[in-house]
Amino acid sequence: MTPAAPPADPLRGLVATFAASLCVLLLALVALFHATAGGAAFTTETLRRSAVAQAPVAVPDYAVVDARGRVRPLRELLAAEGKVWIVDFVYTRCNTLCLALGTVFQRLQTQIVEAGLQDHVGLLSISFDSLRDQGPALAEYATRMRMQPGVWQLVSLRDEADRRRLLDSFGIMVLPAPLGEYEHNAALHVVTPTGQLVRILGLDEAAEALAAAQALAPR
Amino acid sequence: MKPQALAAAAATLGALALSLPPGRALIEQSMVWHMLVQMPLLVVAGWWAAAGAPRLGERINRHGLTGFMLAQCITAYWMVPALIDRAVVLPWADAGKLVSLWVAGVALRHGYRQAPLAVQLFFAGYGLPMLAWLGYYLASTDLRLCNAYSLESQMRAGQGLVMLATVLGAAWVLDLLHQHRRRSPLAPI
Repeated sequence: MTPAAPPADPLRGLVATFAASLCVLLLALVALFHATAGGAAFTTETLRRSAVAQAPVAVPDYAVVDARGRVRPLRELLAAEGKVWIVDFVYTRCNTLCLALGTVFQRLQTQIVEAGLQDHVGLLSISFDSLRDQGPALAEYATRMRMQPGVWQLVSLRDEADRRRLLDSFGIMVLPAPLGEYEHNAALHVVTPTGQLVRILGLDEAAEALAAAQALAPR
Repeated sequence: MKPQALAAAAATLGALALSLPPGRALIEQSMVWHMLVQMPLLVVAGWWAAAGAPRLGERINRHGLTGFMLAQCITAYWMVPALIDRAVVLPWADAGKLVSLWVAGVALRHGYRQAPLAVQLFFAGYGLPMLAWLGYYLASTDLRLCNAYSLESQMRAGQGLVMLATVLGAAWVLDLLHQHRRRSPLAPI
């Protein structure tokens, strides 16, 4: 009988493999860390919020138009009254998310008036459906939402061509949905009179948005 | 051309066509087309392409460990909603996705065919539940996780991912039974 050959050690020569696997894992972690703001944000929405919180974004200066057809540069509107603005993006035919946004803004409007903050904090809704939302559509929406002109303003873009770049600067993505609706991400954007987007907060964080705007408002 | 090489070429071209117009509209509008057609197609293309290839870097891929690790890392990376969005919006991110998922397919095959049962169990036991969990989460949450996709599209993709994880798990078990691979947990296959 010949003695059986000693079984090969299954763990022999594994050092190079372990090193390679470890390198792969580390590289992947670095890539993931880099892409998710240090593991803090796994969705585009949380990413854009943390990016803005770290470095404010300058809002581009496009011509906006209100229900009465008055055209003026967005930056001029933002700077006119020295207010800090809470900005949202809507389209007036919306029956889903913008209704929730509308409710949040209505509540904010009441709070601003009750606290006497209307000279310091303003609400601004910008329509991204600039083709349909002009003149009467804007006026009808303002009435429906019970907007108080001194507190809550509604504008649309004058030029359809500006829409994409404005939405990109805020990080809003608009998707066409069935029945002529749109699906879009919604949030409360705090913008200074100098046109700096400084904070983005969720719809359920209206109190924080108001507090942030109030803290930034010049006395 | 061998049948697997032909299949690999066809799958690669099919996946590429989904990243270029007019096919691109499909992955831009539907998370199902993106996550359940294009991404798996890329992995499968890499898997088929690796069929006839000599064993690559065997010294650093004992028991298929590095192959599995690479495939796992790449597929996990492309499960992050923000990165899925990025691949929809930014062409360079999309190019990275095409290449890396194809490589993941190659790596998976190099891992799988050299891995003993214990290693397979580790990666399947980690990767498949992760896939199923992500699917369940996408299907059941009312948070829209990808800004590029509607909630409805996300829900259907989630259901599809659960199915994909189930099918992959079943295929793996069948393959094990078919090949009578259960000698020793550490025996090379």
